[in-house]
Formats: sequence, structure tokens, C-alpha cells
Amino acid sequence: MITAERKPIEEILEYLEPYDRILLVGCNECVTVCAAGGRKEVALLSSALQMARMKSGRTLEVREMTLERQCDPEYVEELVNFIDQAGAVLSMACGCGVQEVARRFKDKPVFPAVNTKFMGASERQGVWAERCQGCGDCLLGLTGGICPIARCSKRLLNGPCGGSTDGKCEISPEVDCAWQLIWERLKALGLEKRYEDIISAKDWRTSRDGGPRKIVREDLAS
Amino acid sequence: MDHFSPVIVAFCCHYCAYTAADMAGSMRLSYPSNVKIIRVPCSGKVSALHIMRAFQKGADGVYVAGCLEGDCHFKDGNIKAAKRVAYVKKMLDEIGIGGERVEVIRMSAGMGERFAQSAKDFTERIRKLGPNPVRAVLNQRESAGA
Amino acid sequence: MNNKVLVIGGGIGGIKTALDLAEAKRDVVLIDKAASIGGLMTLLDRTFPTNNCDLCTVSPHLSESGRELHIELMTLTQLTRVEGEAGNFKVTLKTDPRFIDPAKCTACGECHKKFPECVRFTPGLDHRAPTCMRYPQATPYAYSIDMTRCRNIEALVEVCKDGAIIPDDIAKVVELDVSAIVLTPGAALFHPGILENFGYGKYPNVVTSLEYERILSASGPSLGALVRPSDGKPPKKIAWIQCVGSRNTNQVAAPYCSSACCMFALKEAIVTKERFQNDIETVIFYMDIRTSGKDYELYYQRAKNEYGIEFVRSRPHSVIPVGETGNLSITYSTDQSDMPLKDVFDMVVLSTGFQVPADLVELAGRLGIQLNEHNFVETRSFDPVSTSREGVFVAGLFQSPKDIPETMVQASAAACLASNYQEAIKEADKTDDEYPFDEEEELPSERDVSGEEARIGVFVCDCGYNIGGVIDVDRIVEYAGNLPGVAVSEMVGHGCSREALAHIREVIVEKKLNRVVMGACSPRTHETLFQDTIQRAGLNKYLLEMANIRDQDTWVHSDTPEESIDKAKDLIRMAVSSAALSRPLTDHLLPMNKDILVVGGGVAGMSAALNLADKGYKVYLVERSGTLGGLARHIRRTLEGDDVQRHMSDLIQRTINHENVQVLLNAVIVDHSGMPGMFRTGIQSGPRLAYRQINHGATILATGALANRPREYLLDEHEAVMTQLDLDGFIEDHPDRVKAWHNVVMIQCVGSRCPENPNCSRICCQSAVKNALRIRKLNPEANIFVLYRDMRTYGFQEDYYRRAREQGVVFVRYGLEDRPSVEAGEDQQVEVSFYEPVLGRKITCLADCLALSTGFVSDDESTEDLSAIFHLNRTVDGYFLEDHVKLRPVDLSVPGFFVAGTAHSPKDISESIAQAQAAAGRAQTLLAKDVINLGASVARVDGEKCAACLICVRICPFDVPFINADGYSEIDPAKCHGCGLCAAECPAHAIQLMQYEDQQIMAKVDSLLEGIL
Repeated sequence: MITAERKPIEEILEYLEPYDRILLVGCNECVTVCAAGGRKEVALLSSALQMARMKSGRTLEVREMTLERQCDPEYVEELVNFIDQAGAVLSMACGCGVQEVARRFKDKPVFPAVNTKFMGASERQGVWAERCQGCGDCLLGLTGGICPIARCSKRLLNGPCGGSTDGKCEISPEVDCAWQLIWERLKALGLEKRYEDIISAKDWRTSRDGGPRKIVREDLAS
Repeated sequence: MDHFSPVIVAFCCHYCAYTAADMAGSMRLSYPSNVKIIRVPCSGKVSALHIMRAFQKGADGVYVAGCLEGDCHFKDGNIKAAKRVAYVKKMLDEIGIGGERVEVIRMSAGMGERFAQSAKDFTERIRKLGPNPVRAVLNQRESAGA
Repeated sequence: MNNKVLVIGGGIGGIKTALDLAEAKRDVVLIDKAASIGGLMTLLDRTFPTNNCDLCTVSPHLSESGRELHIELMTLTQLTRVEGEAGNFKVTLKTDPRFIDPAKCTACGECHKKFPECVRFTPGLDHRAPTCMRYPQATPYAYSIDMTRCRNIEALVEVCKDGAIIPDDIAKVVELDVSAIVLTPGAALFHPGILENFGYGKYPNVVTSLEYERILSASGPSLGALVRPSDGKPPKKIAWIQCVGSRNTNQVAAPYCSSACCMFALKEAIVTKERFQNDIETVIFYMDIRTSGKDYELYYQRAKNEYGIEFVRSRPHSVIPVGETGNLSITYSTDQSDMPLKDVFDMVVLSTGFQVPADLVELAGRLGIQLNEHNFVETRSFDPVSTSREGVFVAGLFQSPKDIPETMVQASAAACLASNYQEAIKEADKTDDEYPFDEEEELPSERDVSGEEARIGVFVCDCGYNIGGVIDVDRIVEYAGNLPGVAVSEMVGHGCSREALAHIREVIVEKKLNRVVMGACSPRTHETLFQDTIQRAGLNKYLLEMANIRDQDTWVHSDTPEESIDKAKDLIRMAVSSAALSRPLTDHLLPMNKDILVVGGGVAGMSAALNLADKGYKVYLVERSGTLGGLARHIRRTLEGDDVQRHMSDLIQRTINHENVQVLLNAVIVDHSGMPGMFRTGIQSGPRLAYRQINHGATILATGALANRPREYLLDEHEAVMTQLDLDGFIEDHPDRVKAWHNVVMIQCVGSRCPENPNCSRICCQSAVKNALRIRKLNPEANIFVLYRDMRTYGFQEDYYRRAREQGVVFVRYGLEDRPSVEAGEDQQVEVSFYEPVLGRKITCLADCLALSTGFVSDDESTEDLSAIFHLNRTVDGYFLEDHVKLRPVDLSVPGFFVAGTAHSPKDISESIAQAQAAAGRAQTLLAKDVINLGASVARVDGEKCAACLICVRICPFDVPFINADGYSEIDPAKCHGCGLCAAECPAHAIQLMQYEDQQIMAKVDSLLEGIL
């Protein structure tokens, strides 16, 4: 899932400074699951913003809406009846959602209320960790199901480096060395030999280096 | 501000604090009347939003009263409640309302005296902090307008 | 089949017995010779040690017994004849004329408006009037007339517009078949007029403790104002004289101790002090303060140290009036005074004890049961509620003088034993004509209120003085009437009274109400009662909301009535806003597991287990040690001389051989889950600590207490020094050595009533008396000194204390400031020095035996572990804390858990057995139902909103939610415990906890804070 984290309220307040009525839009997908922008977070932020405004002697009218998925135009269309009353839109979705709203309502300022962080998995209740960078050419089949691009600080394709100590990365004792993990996993699978194989330099054009990407499914595309 | 009588919402767990409040009643232990109890089945039922909403509507203080550590009828609802209150404290600090206006208080069902004393202590704390800034601004405006 | 139990006496004990039997699905005929039930307790203003208003605590019980399906109530009724035998008695009951038809009487009060002096029952303070309603919530709610006192019958008949007065009403006689009889007729209070030296009856300001109670009572003659009878002035100095009619060998009085009067006087003095603080002086004249009940000693210490009540150890000689002032002079002497002392008081309260009235002696005669020398019912140590006639049981004061909690214990015990003579009734077997007195109807079908706009009825109680005495209830009613959605707003007096409940029902139907708000007391105590009421009016019970304007408002803000009114308005407004959003819910039901887990294999545990096993229940008896028996295995004799070990070996044999009892030795409890009717407890037992789980429906805790063994007075250092428990065995095992003793000294309260263990151990005074008498029997020449602080030989133990003194045992009082000292002497003796207050000097005695009365300490470690595993509450000193110290002394705060024996508080074997029988009886009432009602407060998921994030799955303390095949979270209502953690944490707001939905909580917050910004 895409993970996100609420921005500092002060920053959000600065965006909203000129406006007295806003539409606060959440998303019932990834950001709900990572507790950053679902119905509940929308309600909490709405309450906090209104209070902060009242404290400075002004009011802020907030209409709360949480869409099933903010990155799909059909769902975003649900905002159409409410958009006119709002001076601006504050989105609690990931960057995709924010942009979809901005694309649909061209004359309406749209601000992000969360920082979109990474594609990750939940390690346990309340803890999410990065797992994928969307490089466009998955090599998990070679690395025992552990991604060196997302999880090695240096994105080494053949590791570990000299900074690996006791299974931890030199950048922080909190961070596991991805290559240590890969080695252990391969060993457990009895595939130590695969570790010997050199992974050749990666063609990064499938990643962001090839410019903004798009997927087109001919059979589905209209 | 001498006459400031804070409005305090106390979310009380049915199994301990609410019972302790009744106990304070049967022991005729007086406490400030500005503390208003909302009964919940467990302090862990109190959502961050309930607390935020109370402040938004003008409450000067909120406390969540749950069972003693290890005594939760639902295993660890009281611990969850404490974490949630800590989260709300940060949020209140962030918007300048002040995290010290919200607290977790623990007691057992038999502690009528602790209930009354906590109500007094918390009221005193809020009295010192003064009114909820949201309310203060409005009051100032009113008096300025008048 | 003959399936009824006859309960004689409708005081609090009889009501409890009847309720327990009814809950266990037995039919009960409850008779009382008075015009309404309630007995002595309903005359009290407050009860110790909580100082609560009794009427409020007990009134739901009264209504309950009025409503209860299995109870047939016959007032003004007495037993005239009994034939047959246990299981098959034929009884004849005579009902005196009421002269009022209860069916027609609306309790309008017109008849006694014409007789203005006769509204309330005030024993001894005013004359009984022709029409008498004993107290406001009298059940049944109808008046009765004493025709012999009526001068103008015609005028009286005409007063009643409903024609309810029947001047020529006659007595009715019925014969009934019953299988068992329980006697709970209470006792009378000693009439102190006979003792001329106190001037009762001559001087108006000398009153009995019950009269004083009525003067304090809100429903009493002075409406709760403390004024003295002679001139209506508030008294400034009051004296209590203890033991009036008790501990008195004067022929007209009683030699035994009445057990409850010390606490009674302490309570009255404390309540007086509470109301008037420093404006009033209170002095208690006493012989021994006998506060040996659970936590009673702490109450005594508070009375002395916090409230400043003065205690004078003296039995006053006389009470003499001071001129025409109405004041009274008390003459008395103390240990310290050579000359008689005098002190003047505005009022004197005589703490009168209990006596068996002549009509009860006659009743016992009719029943053919034996009475003891004091005319109380003879019972045996190991069978404390059985009379000499099989199938006839006794509970409460008629068995021996006692206080309310002990009466409640015995009442449940008697119900447990009496229920052995019938089978539980299946509801389907009941036919209407078998229940001529049954006014109950089937629950009406629920009215569908969906789609209706809220029509809320607000009913505000004044609860006598409790609410109405602090705030103007009319103002609240008026205020509530203007709140949105409120269709009706009314005051209902005592809302929990039978009459008020009937009225509420009518209004709901008449005004088509679809929500109800009770401005009343705590939902903890009264919610089920009011839910039941609205159900009977065709509403779903969850359409009720309570505003706790008594316990959490008027009781705590009585000194600031305006603030109290404002708060009451807030609380009502909050309740109305939430009620408007409430919705009909369905309770979830599960089958009941009827097995029982008994923890602790001592006397109490085995007694409880056997009682249940005999009834056919499967019992698991878990004992921590390798043998059954507990502490009582070391006791040889009771005070009465009964052989404890013989009873013990019989108990153990029956327990291990009973086909329904499974004993697990060397067993510890390690985990626990579930709810009443379906508990699951993990146990490790046997030499290898094998783990197993037991499924059970109820749990009885009988884990006992520990024999205290403090390191004091050379205990365990010198062979002449032993505890009373050691001595008990020593006398039995070494009579020759006892015969050789010259001097024996006993020291009381060693390790009790001290800072480390502030409570009284209750049993040590009788142990000392018991052992002193046994030594005296073996060795008439020995000098025996008992050094004590207060001799607490309550009830008939006083007889033995008296006997000991008659036989030359010397009792010497010591104070904490002047404790005896002990040093090792020569020839295996110890040198005991103590101050003799009568001689006024120190005495040193070379003792061959020094027995220390060390009493009990709680088994702190066990109760701590178990309370953590079972989520139970404990007292500060480590005993299990019952649900209500007065009225539910056997039930623990977690439903399905009961306590028996010394795990509850120090007590003797007989008291432990009574509580074990009571616990068995209480467990039986729980298990009588075939289903468990889980209530309706469960979490519900809106699948449309659910993002399947798993937060609920992970947060649930009981692992209930799961993501179902449709891809959203599902919560099984049968497993949900209703804590609401998932609802509070759900990031999609997809989960709501029924009864506590977010919109309801928010509505409360919003309405509370309405208008603040």
C-alpha cells in the first residue's frame, strides 16, 4: 500500500490562510489503512483546524468527505456538488489523489494534508515500513523475496557493503542490512549458490529515469 | 478570571471510575459540579475524536478515567486509552490549545475518595491554565463588542 | 407436585430468601403479619458502614419481589397450623382483614388526609393512627386500617372515592401444600421502659436508637430535621448508652450480646456529626466496642479519630432530668474515677438490643422447633440455618442477634437448603389458575418505533429527600419539558416504587412515547428495573437513557443547590440528546454451562461443593495444597464444644467420594476467560503441574485466610508462648501438662487492630474464652488472666464469656498505650507484666503458658493473584471485596463469582458454612437459567465503510473480529465483550458499539457544551 503521514498542522494552516470554507477530502484506500487519511483522520484534522482557527479569532467551515478512492475520476466526481461552496480543497489522500482532484477541478486550489511516504507493508499495528520503490523491473526472484533497491540504503545490487555490521546497516542500528537478510533467506531456501551470481547493472529506464511512466492495457483501454 | 468555572468532561469507565463516582456519591464526598461524567464501557472506548470534539465545542478540560493498571475489565483497554490520550495531547499542543488540558486518571471502583479528589485536582489544574483558548478569544471578542 | 416454599416474615432476610428461591425457579409464598413487607431495615435512615440511605438501596429489591413471577405475597397473614413432614407440609394461613381492597385502593392519600397525624410509621414517637402506611414505598402499595381505633367508621368509608374501604372485611383462612419452610420473622427490639433507671417513657428526650433513626430519617416525623421530642429544639449534646437490654442478667433484659448495636450507635453518631459537624457533641457510653465485622474496626477508628466522637467506657447508673429544661443528667463511673461522675445532655439515645417476642415463641411451638435458652431458634454449629425439624430453616435475627449482611448470608443459605425439596419449575409448566395472585402478564410485543420522530418521556424522581431535598425537581421537570423531542416531562416521586413504575408504563402507552429518560439514580443499580418497565409498556429496553442526578449530583452537591440544579439540567439535556439517537437492540443469547468451579478445599469450599453436588451439579474443587481441610484441620473444638475434626473427616470423605465432585489437588489457577455461564479457567495441577482447562458457568472462591503468626511476645522463641490455635490442640493432646499449670495468661489482639493489620480478627475473643473454659475444666486451680482491649463475644458467645468470669477467669483490660510486656523467666516460664486498671498498678505474673490471640491475616498473595486473573476487587487488607457490603455479601463484583468463608473476612466455622451454603445458593440462582444473556452492547461493522485495514482485528483484546469472505471485518456478537476498542480505533469509522454509538456520545458532548461558545 501507499503510506502517508499527516503534515504538521501549522503547515496546513498556512495553506488555508486565505480561505474560510474548505472541502476536506479523505480516501478509504491506502491512507485509511495506514491511519493517515481515512474518515477518522479527516474528522480529527477537521476538528483541530477549526479549533486552531477559532483560537485566532476566525472561523473555518469544513465539509468532510471521504471517497472510496481518490485516485479514480468517478469517485472524485462525487465532489462536484460540494466543490463550489468551498474556497479550497484539502486532501488527505496520497499524492495521486491530490492530483486527481486538482485535475478534475481546475479552478480550485487543492492542498495536500499528508506527506505521501512510500510503498510499504505494516510490520505490526501502527508500524509501516518501506518495501518497494516501483523500479519497473522486479528482481525479487533473484534476491530471495527481499528487495535490495527498497531496503538497502545504497540500493546495491550485489551486497553487502563494508558498512554492514551484525546484520545492521551503518546508517542506523535500527535498519536491517538488506543483504544480510537476503543471504539468510537464500541460505534457508538452500539457494546459497544464487548469491554467487552477479546481478548485472540495472537498466533504470523502467524506473523514474525514463521519465513519467504510464501503463496501457490495450484490451481494457477505451 | 477569579470567577472562572471551567467546564470539564470526564469520560468514565463503567467498571471503575463511574462506579467510584457513585461511591463518592454514597459517601457524600463533594467535588466540583463543573465536572460532567459521560459513561463509557471502557476507557479504551473513548476515541481521540470525542476528546477533540469536546475541546472544539468549548470544554476547558477533558479527562478519561479508567481502571488501575492491570485491572482493566477488557485486559488492556485502559493502556490503549492512555496511548490515545498521549496522541491527543500532542495534537492539542500543535494547535496551541495545550496538551495539559487532557489527562488519564486511574482508579478502582472502590475509590470514591480518589474520584472526588481527582475531580478537585483536575479542576484546580484547569483553573490555573485558564479557559480553553478558543473560548477565551470568543469571550474577548464579545466583551470587546459590548 | 408440591413445589412451594413458605417464607415467614417479609423483612430484608425474607425478601432475600424469596428472591433467591424465585430466581432458582422455585415458587414462594411470602407471608408477613404486617400490612406491608420491609421489616426493620426499611425503618432505618442509613446503614453502616457505607452510611447509605437504606430505602434507596432496598427499594428496588422490594419492587423486585412484588414483580417477581414466582413470589406470592400475603400480608397481614400468619401461620396457624402446620402438619406433615419435610417435602410435604400442609400449612394453614390466616389473613387478617385489611379493611381496604388493595385492588381498588389507588393510594391517593385522601383517607389519611382526614387523619393528618397518621401519614407515616414512627414507632413510639406518635400513636398509631387508624390508617397506616408504613413507609412511602410500601409493598403492596395500599393502605390498611386498624378498625379498633376508628371512632367514626362511616366518615372513614365516605372519604374513599374509589370505595376501597371495606368496614366489614373479615379474616380469610387458606390451606397450602408446601415442601419447605423458611423462618425469617426477625426479632423485636427490647422495650427499655422496664428499666426504670433510664427514664424511658418518662422523659421525652430519652429515645431508643430506632426512634433516633426515625428522627434522622427524611421520611420520619420531623422530615429529617434533628430536633428533640420535648421542645423541637436541635440538640447540642447527645449521649448513647449501649447494651440497653443486652448483656444484662437483670431478669427483664437479655444476657446475650445483640451484636449490631455498637455499629448502630457509631453510625448514628457519625451521621449526626456529618450533618452538624462541630455544632454537636456526641458521647457513647459503652462496655466493649464490638466492631468485629468486615472493616467495621476501621469505621470505629474513623468515628473516634476523624469525627471526634467521644467514647466513655462505662455502663451508666441512671438518667435524671435537669429541672424543667428537658436536659438529662447521666451518672456514671469509670475505671479511673473513684467518685461517680455526672454529665448533662440534651438527648439520650438508648441502644436497645434484640429480643424474641412472645408471638414468635408461639410460632416456634406451632412449628415444633426447638428454641435455645434465650428463645432464639436452636441451630447446630455445622448446620447453622437448619432447625430441629427437617425441612424447616431459619435465617436472620430469629436465629441469633446479627446485622444485615449476616442476615443476607443466612437468607441465601436457607434458600439454598430449602430448594432441595422441590424441582426447578419449567416455565412452560405454569398455568394461570395455579397463580391466583399473579398479576403478571406476558411481555407485550415490541412496538416498532423506526421512522417515528423522537417522542421522549422524561421522568424525574425526587427520591424522597435524596434529590427533592436538594433541588427543586419541578424546575428540572419544566426545563426538560422544553428540550427538543421531549413529549412528556413529569415528576415521579420515588420512580422505583411499584406505583410510579405502573404510572410510567401508562404514560408511555397513553402518550405514545418512543424514548424514555429517567432523571434518577445510577444506571448501575436501577437500569434493569426501568428497562423492564418500558419493556412492559411495549418499548425496546434500549430506548431508555438514565441521567444520574442523585449519586452524581444531589448527593455530592447538596451544599450548593444552585450548582446542583444546573448540573441536573445538563445531565438531563445530555440524556435526552442521546436518547433521541438510541435504537432498538436485541440481546444475544447463549446456552449456559452449569458446572461450577470451587477454588479452595477448606470447610467453606467443601461445604459449597457438596451442597451443589447434592443438587446434581458437576463441581470441580481446586485445592492449592496436597490435602483437603484448610485451616480448620488444626482446630479441635468450637466454643460450643463441638468436635471439629469429626465433622472435618466426614466432609472430606463425602467430598472425595461424591460422584459429582472432581477434586484437583496441588492445583493452581493460571488463566481465565469467558463470562458468567461460560467461563474457561486454566489450571495446573498434580506433581507435574499438568495444564488443563475447565469450562464452568459459575465460580466460588473459598480460598480462606492465614493464621496470623506475628513475631511478638517471644512467639516461636519460647516454648511457653503459643497461639490460641496451638493451645486449642495442646489442651486436647497434653491434658496432663495443662493440669500442672499454675498461671496462664492470654493476650488478645496480638497482630490485629494494630497498624500492620488494622481490622479485628473476630474469632480471637471467643477462642480465648473457649480455651480458658477448657483449661478451667481440666485445672480448676490455675490462675487464668485474659488481657484484652474489648471483649468481642458477640451474640450467644457472651454466655461463655459470662461463664468464664463466673468460673474465676480474670479479664484485664489494656490500652494500646499500655501494652503488656513479656520476658523469658525461669523454669520454662515467661514473665508477663501488665497494668491492672482497677487496682491501678502494674502486676507481674510468671506464666506457664502464654497464649497469644493472633487471629487471621488475609492470604494476600493468593487473593492478589486470583484477583488479577479473575479481575476481582479486594479490600485494602487483602480480602475479596463483595459487590455490596450490605445487601450482596456473597456476590463478588464480577457476575458469576461468589465468595465464602474467610477469604471474605475473618469468621468462625459456623459462619463460614453459612456463607458456603449461601454461595452455593447464589450460584444455583445464576445457573437456573438455561441461557446466558450477553446483552446488546456489541460492536457492529458497516461493511460498506470498512477498508479491511485489520486494525480492529489486531486491537481486539479477545481476538473476535476477522476479515470475512466478502472482504470486510466481521464481529461475532456472541463473542464480542463490548469494550468498544475497535470502534474507537477504526480509521474508517466503520464500527459502532451499540448503546454507545459515536453519534450518541457526540450528542452528549455537544449538548453538554451547548451555548458555551
